[in-house]
Amino acid sequence: MSIPTLQGLQTALSGLLAEQQALDVAGHNIANANTEGYSRQTVVMETNQAIAVPSLSAITGEGAQLGTGVTVETYTRIRNAYLDAQYRTQNSALSGAATQAEALEQAQSAFNEPTSTGIASQLSNFWSAWNSLADAPTSEAAKEGVVSAGQRLASAFNQLSAQLQTISGQVSQQYEARTGESGEVAQYAHQIAQLNEQIKLSEQAGQPPNDMLDRRDLLLDKLSTLANVTVTQQANGEDTVSFGDAAKPLVEGTTVNWPQTLSAAAGGQLGALLALNGPAGGLTSFQNELDAVAASVAASVNELHTATPFFTGTTAGTLAVAVKASEVQTSSTEAPGGNDIALAIAALRGGTADQGYSGLIGSVGSKVQGAKNEQANLQTTLTAIGNQRQSVSGVSLDEEMTNLITFQRGYQASARTLTTMDEMLETLIEHTGRAGL
Amino acid sequence: MSNRITGSMLTNSTLNDINSALASLQRSSAELSSGKTILEPSDNPYGASRAIDLQSQLDGLESYTSSVKDGLAWTQTTSGAMASISSVTQRVRELLLQASNGTNSPADLKNIATEVGQLTESIKQDANTQYAGQYVFSGTLTSTPPYAQGEGAADEYKGNTTPLARSIGPGSTVTISSNLSSVLGNGAESGDGKLLNVLRTIQQHLNEGTTESRAALNSTDLSALGTSMDALSELQSENGSATDQLQLVSSRIEALQGSIEAGLSSTIDTDVAKTTIEYSNQQAAYEAALRAGANIVQESLLNFLH
Repeated sequence: MSIPTLQGLQTALSGLLAEQQALDVAGHNIANANTEGYSRQTVVMETNQAIAVPSLSAITGEGAQLGTGVTVETYTRIRNAYLDAQYRTQNSALSGAATQAEALEQAQSAFNEPTSTGIASQLSNFWSAWNSLADAPTSEAAKEGVVSAGQRLASAFNQLSAQLQTISGQVSQQYEARTGESGEVAQYAHQIAQLNEQIKLSEQAGQPPNDMLDRRDLLLDKLSTLANVTVTQQANGEDTVSFGDAAKPLVEGTTVNWPQTLSAAAGGQLGALLALNGPAGGLTSFQNELDAVAASVAASVNELHTATPFFTGTTAGTLAVAVKASEVQTSSTEAPGGNDIALAIAALRGGTADQGYSGLIGSVGSKVQGAKNEQANLQTTLTAIGNQRQSVSGVSLDEEMTNLITFQRGYQASARTLTTMDEMLETLIEHTGRAGL
Repeated sequence: MSNRITGSMLTNSTLNDINSALASLQRSSAELSSGKTILEPSDNPYGASRAIDLQSQLDGLESYTSSVKDGLAWTQTTSGAMASISSVTQRVRELLLQASNGTNSPADLKNIATEVGQLTESIKQDANTQYAGQYVFSGTLTSTPPYAQGEGAADEYKGNTTPLARSIGPGSTVTISSNLSSVLGNGAESGDGKLLNVLRTIQQHLNEGTTESRAALNSTDLSALGTSMDALSELQSENGSATDQLQLVSSRIEALQGSIEAGLSSTIDTDVAKTTIEYSNQQAAYEAALRAGANIVQESLLNFLH
């Protein structure tokens, strides 16, 4: 019979302390309910080392172990690394698609179709002007009409081409800004490297750095917006981060390898920005197809307008009318009433150039539509994965309220145990041993 | 695990739903206010491309319409001129018959010859008819009068024989000019046997007044005049059929315009009835999303603890 007299007090105390810590953690969770990237934490409780009583029973002589209460082993964060990886993959894909959709939409609005001011209607006006000239081959006004319709057409091509160039330039600038020395990539990488260092030290000290881990995961989420991110966790707690299709890891322990070369295959915003201006990219193909339409207009008109070329330039940016009204050729002969050339040019309506342009509008529309659809689909998937992550790691106020009540009641019960023990000891100390006095 | 629902999940999905409800509401509203279902090519890439083709076709029809009107005015001008030439020729024929009945004195014949000369001049004047400042019978040399007029002017044709065309449809044209020189010819010097040559010969025979000449008036001259009149009426009927063709094209273009406009409208115009119903559905959905969001997001265990 060698149980320490005051053991009961210690046991009750351990309960009080543990419940208090659990209340603290619940408080931390509630405080961070709306903190970006926060994962809820729980208290891991464990029973204390029991006291061995070698011969509890005076009759059988058998011993037993007496429990001595509870201790808090650690605080853990509830997090699913698999969902993190999935989230980042989808996030890269989504931000890539969103970047594509945004730039292509800008290009689409530059085309300004279908309206009565776009290239389509300028082309149409141009052919109509030739037809009017064919009706009145000697009319100076009709010749002026042809030249000014041609100039409006050429300047519509020039403007659109310049706008596409501007959008393409902005895309390059965005890439430079993000990958530059003080760009987002460099900032995130340096912060991750710093956290790697701090996390390693905490782990070495045996203190799970839950909040730092959350901060690092949040940075990795943000990094995955820019390009594909693959994270390998090292035994010492450091993350090695592969970024896009860069040759070396972006972050390796506390080392940052940046700048590095990326390609369109990098994924994310950066990959999309590179792809847009790449040889098979949306902006490049719009510009090329527009150049082809402009070249086709120039070539088909010049082929018929035999005296002097009507248009100069073979790209949308350089197309210009090369003749004055007096040099407009209506006929292959000198006869003033001849209109064979005007008729032939007017008959180009609906030809290669028109078809090329309406085809281009169709393909611009399809590309933008495709990019928007892809964005919408990926958004749905990402929201689903985000919700799964929230379901695992997010703070539920209802749950925390329940926990508060549970731990509060636990604390009250431990206090009651303490009171009971106290009363028991009072009996022993105050109310016994008076017999002999 | 997945049964755990957290506050941020609720707010996220509520916000997403409200946003998408608002987005479709905004879309319908834009379609209704602009009257167009295709605001950007990406709304319907095929439709946008088709709308551009159809609009160009419509513009084309518009310019063909003005060409057809121009062509019709032209053929009607030539038709009037040729009708006048025809009636003048008829008058010459009457004079010829009158001259050849043998009761006329040489002075009478000379008077008739003078009248034939004047009639010839009036035929040349008809041949010099202009439309919008252009000589209609000069081929493509529209600024050159086909025949010189005045006392002693030559009867040589100054125009060319290149036909004038107007476009009446994609890649198709109609000839609006009539080659009057094939009937009038180049006068006495050429000896081509055409109308002017015949008239000058008649004039000469009348002035000569000899027995041979008188005989010729009744035989070779009359038949030559008949041949020319036949050629003229053939040319008139050719011109008439060009006019008919233009009128036919004009009504066909109107029909085409109607059907293309209908096609264009069904491609890009908003179906107002349908969109209005969709709009009120979307409005109801949006309000429901707002109401649900307002009620659900507020609730938590906190409301029930004391």
